[in-house]
Amino acid sequence: MEKNFILAGFGGQGILLAGTILANAFMLEGKNVTWYPCYGAEMRGGTVNCEIVVSDSEVSSVHKQDTDYALVLNQQSFDKFVHRVKSGGTIVSNSSLVAESRPRSDIKYVFAPMTQIANDLGNSKVANMAALGVLASVCDVVSKEYLAKGFEKVMSGKKKELLPLNIKALELGYGILTQAK
Amino acid sequence: MAESNEKVLIKGNYAIAQAAINAGCQCYFGYPITPQTEIGEYLSAEMPKLGRGYVCAESEIAAINMVVGAVSTGVRAMTTSSSLAVALMQEALSYAASDELPVVLVNVMRAGPGLGYIYPAQGDYNQSVYGGGNGDYKIIVLAPSTVQECIDFTYRAFYLAQKYRNPVILLADGLLGQMMEPACFGKDPYPEVDVSSWALTGAKDRESRAIYSIGTDEKKQVQHIYNLFKKFEVIAENETSYEEFEVEDADIILTAFGSITRNIKAAMKVLRDKGVKAGCFRPVTLSPFPHKRINELASMGKDFAVVEMNMGQMFKDVKYAVEGKSNVSLINRPVGEWLSVEEIVSAVEKIMESKYAASIQYS
Repeated sequence: MEKNFILAGFGGQGILLAGTILANAFMLEGKNVTWYPCYGAEMRGGTVNCEIVVSDSEVSSVHKQDTDYALVLNQQSFDKFVHRVKSGGTIVSNSSLVAESRPRSDIKYVFAPMTQIANDLGNSKVANMAALGVLASVCDVVSKEYLAKGFEKVMSGKKKELLPLNIKALELGYGILTQAK
Repeated sequence: MAESNEKVLIKGNYAIAQAAINAGCQCYFGYPITPQTEIGEYLSAEMPKLGRGYVCAESEIAAINMVVGAVSTGVRAMTTSSSLAVALMQEALSYAASDELPVVLVNVMRAGPGLGYIYPAQGDYNQSVYGGGNGDYKIIVLAPSTVQECIDFTYRAFYLAQKYRNPVILLADGLLGQMMEPACFGKDPYPEVDVSSWALTGAKDRESRAIYSIGTDEKKQVQHIYNLFKKFEVIAENETSYEEFEVEDADIILTAFGSITRNIKAAMKVLRDKGVKAGCFRPVTLSPFPHKRINELASMGKDFAVVEMNMGQMFKDVKYAVEGKSNVSLINRPVGEWLSVEEIVSAVEKIMESKYAASIQYS
């Protein structure tokens, strides 16, 4: 089993951090994982993205042409990465900032108000954790419990205080789709 | 993070930086350049805490010459940079090789030629292995393929540099520098090297000594160069290393160095599933190069397909090692997005159909 994920959004939405948390979650689960960021000038004021590959055996390649899952937090990222999702793959979008549209018929679409969840918690910065929660709820490979452990691993020192708020965002993201039904 | 058996998710650049600390690097001199700036960033915070030296030099030329000065006193020192800025350091490498100084230089390669750009590439194989400095000299070149090897080879680089009194280049690339994967620092496994017979530590209570590369006496200079090359023969005998997978029954051996190795290993598995008997070979030391083993494999009639992110730089060394005994093909893209597993598989299938050496280039 090998799956890859592209996480994308505005600089400042915590995309690289979310990717780091996801990669740590996979590592703590005992899986092979790689994390690779875009590191060009595109980061400055524009969109930012990173790619995570998780595998039971050695990761085959770090940076792939297409992806099993795209997690997009803004419109530009949706427009760019909807075309990079594999046929049969899934794009998970932040409906607070991405207009609902389905330009392809061969992929699955998930829309959830990630920024709204964060704003309702009083801190828009936790939208990335809400996003990971939504991802965990639609993707068997991603475990909510290990995401929480991954967060703890990444946040050191004083930042540990932010744990309860972030776990709350993760839980709300995880539950949002069933709640909507 | 230091000296622990815990697995951590870490960037290649930070891995190199912390491994240098664990290896006892006393002084770091550097100048920022993408995609390796994190190394200097990390060390600027950590070295002062340990009472060790960190200097953000005024230029790359200054940085490497500071390393030359520091290592001549017997301490471990390092600089790190990227492609076009490593080009500026070539003069000092030639001096350090002639002076027999244990300079450690990390090159996190980006695209060239000229200014190029910050995306990854493998275009500095020739620059590292054959050098851009003047005269006859040889550098030890280690090519890590994973973040774990960034750690292991940094330890090895410091050790080999002092053991043989020879400059060592750790040749990484932008992908490896920027990516994260789980790795473990463990402990520097190499013994301490005694430098007391040559280091410039002050001549109190002993004869004075000097380190210089000027060779006014022709006969002595001839002997000096012979000695350098004899030393490198010993290095080749003791330190040449490579990795191979499923070569025993292979008809064609995919050959690569550095971080694209994982792509050829994945391509090998796909090809095997399709009934193509493919193997993999990876030189770990690019200099000394594993000529002998490649020649043995060629003698068994195995063809080679060299996969690189340049215009075929290691390809020439593989061809040279094969001595015409089998076909050597090239699969490449000069810079940028690493060749995908699918691209490598499809190129190898084309090569296997023609049964001749081919050159398959992707744009």
